[in-house]
Amino acid sequence: MRDLMVTSPRLRTEPDNSTTRLETTPARVTGDGSERGSLPGLSAGRAATITVESVSKWYGDIVAVSDVSFGVAPGVTALLGPNGAGKSTLLKMVAGLVSPSSGRILVAGHPPRGESADYRRLGLVPEQEEIYPFLTGREFVRLNALLQRLPKPDQATDDAIAMVEMGDAAGRPIGGYSKGMRQRIKVAAALVHDPEVLLLDEPLNGMDPVQRVRLIDLMKRLGERGKTVLVSSHVLVEVERFAESILVIVNGKLAAAGDYRTIRDRIDRHDHVIGILTDDPRRLAAVLVADTAIRSVRFDGPDRVIVETNDVRRCARIVPALARDHGIRLRGLQPADESLTSVFAYLTER
Amino acid sequence: MTILPWRPFPIMTLTIRQFLVGRAVRIVAALAAVPLLFALVYRINSEWSTVYAFLVDRVFLDVFSPTLLPIMVLILATGALGNEVEDRTLLYLTLKPRTRLRIVLEKFGGILLVAVPTILAGLALAFALASTAPGPRRLIDRGLDQPDLMPVFVAAMVAAFFGIVAFAAIFLAVSLFVPRALLVGIVYAFAWESLLGRFIGGIRLISIRHYVQSIFVSMLDDPDWTIANAFTARAAMVTILVAVVLSIALATWRLGRMQLD
Repeated sequence: MRDLMVTSPRLRTEPDNSTTRLETTPARVTGDGSERGSLPGLSAGRAATITVESVSKWYGDIVAVSDVSFGVAPGVTALLGPNGAGKSTLLKMVAGLVSPSSGRILVAGHPPRGESADYRRLGLVPEQEEIYPFLTGREFVRLNALLQRLPKPDQATDDAIAMVEMGDAAGRPIGGYSKGMRQRIKVAAALVHDPEVLLLDEPLNGMDPVQRVRLIDLMKRLGERGKTVLVSSHVLVEVERFAESILVIVNGKLAAAGDYRTIRDRIDRHDHVIGILTDDPRRLAAVLVADTAIRSVRFDGPDRVIVETNDVRRCARIVPALARDHGIRLRGLQPADESLTSVFAYLTER
Repeated sequence: MTILPWRPFPIMTLTIRQFLVGRAVRIVAALAAVPLLFALVYRINSEWSTVYAFLVDRVFLDVFSPTLLPIMVLILATGALGNEVEDRTLLYLTLKPRTRLRIVLEKFGGILLVAVPTILAGLALAFALASTAPGPRRLIDRGLDQPDLMPVFVAAMVAAFFGIVAFAAIFLAVSLFVPRALLVGIVYAFAWESLLGRFIGGIRLISIRHYVQSIFVSMLDDPDWTIANAFTARAAMVTILVAVVLSIALATWRLGRMQLD
């Protein structure tokens, strides 16, 4: 099992502002430009493809990222945190789109805002939806292949489009794509040059369940092939399906880093609040309240039930099952925002 | 019309495609037709001026070079990279193994490939239409020949070309520094190039309009038509090329330091 940095002696409380942070020790640079050492997120002896050392980013008086250090090795790593935690800013700094206010970032041993030639080894799937709407999906991917100076851009384009299963829609203008299709074509464009490092900012947003499964499978395959895949997400249960290790960011700080299962156990011990959209909230509440995993049930509007649970995993299993058994239609199930924030905040508590 | 990204210059072809699907080219084409409209009016009633004087004074020196030219190039040049910044698509170009200079040059090339034919075609058509006007009857009755219009045409085309190149480079750079570059550019074009540059001598010397008009009158080489403190055509062209090189360098520098939030 990998190190769980949050439970290690590195975690200490700042006496001045009662925040917590992870102490880091200097990383050791290896011959291939990667780094080894005890950066949070790195197991002992593993080489880091991405090194983030004491990085902060502020915009005027607003601190977006505060003294964050971690390492990311080959495989799939999740950057987990609530909205506004600083995940996107961190990814942008790793990609070189934004420079840190202080600290150092290395990608495969090189600063990301250095030589443009270094972008051959990097692919980014940004969260933003904006893509050239007048280009077809194929033209957009091919444009990326050309900009990467690939020797066979058409072949690379076809391969990347096939990888995200967009062959049927690749000839249509991107302006007519759904959000999920845009995400997939962005992934294809980021993968067209077979990069060593792939950064994905909330890539599963807007995708339907089938598309999610396929993208998750793709990310896992890339990780197994030795690529370094760093994926941001604010959805706890989603991360379980693809990440081997997790970096938890809360309020711009690294709250936890390490193996998913250990962090998950810690998260699961905390109470969760889940919002359930249903056509029959009263009957669903009556059914759920009898289960031992449910601590309380309340109504929020005419079609929403708010459930508090101390066993989120059991809750995720029983709600659909009970609804099906009793003929109750579910229209949505997601953690309430306040719950998510409190869960992440819980990770930073001693 | 579909222009696929062309392998040697993908950013340039992308830029041309962006212009063709957007409103910019249509607006520029409409503005480029303004001299044609002037020529049409003149063609209907040409009693008040000779064709030569109409084209030199009214079309080129009064309307085209101080007002229309900067506005038309401004619309295209500020959109080339400025729209990428506003639409947040610039990262698709910068996160690639392409130097910032290469990105700027291809964008610059894209602007020129759209602006030059569109703007010069409007001017050429205006010249063609105006040249068919009879001119004042008093001159015809006296059997006086109209002066040769070809030197005016060539001077106008060359001067306009240099003006397009200069404004394209300058506004391209400005769009990377100023969030609403089009608005700022319109104020600049009207206030600086069109009004202040016309009346205040000091400003005139640092106005692209002055160099464009210097090229025009210098090539025309007609003592009846000149402007105050005119440069030689060679000096004006060299100055414009220096301004272009500086603007490209500035844009490259800025692009390398931009924070793409």
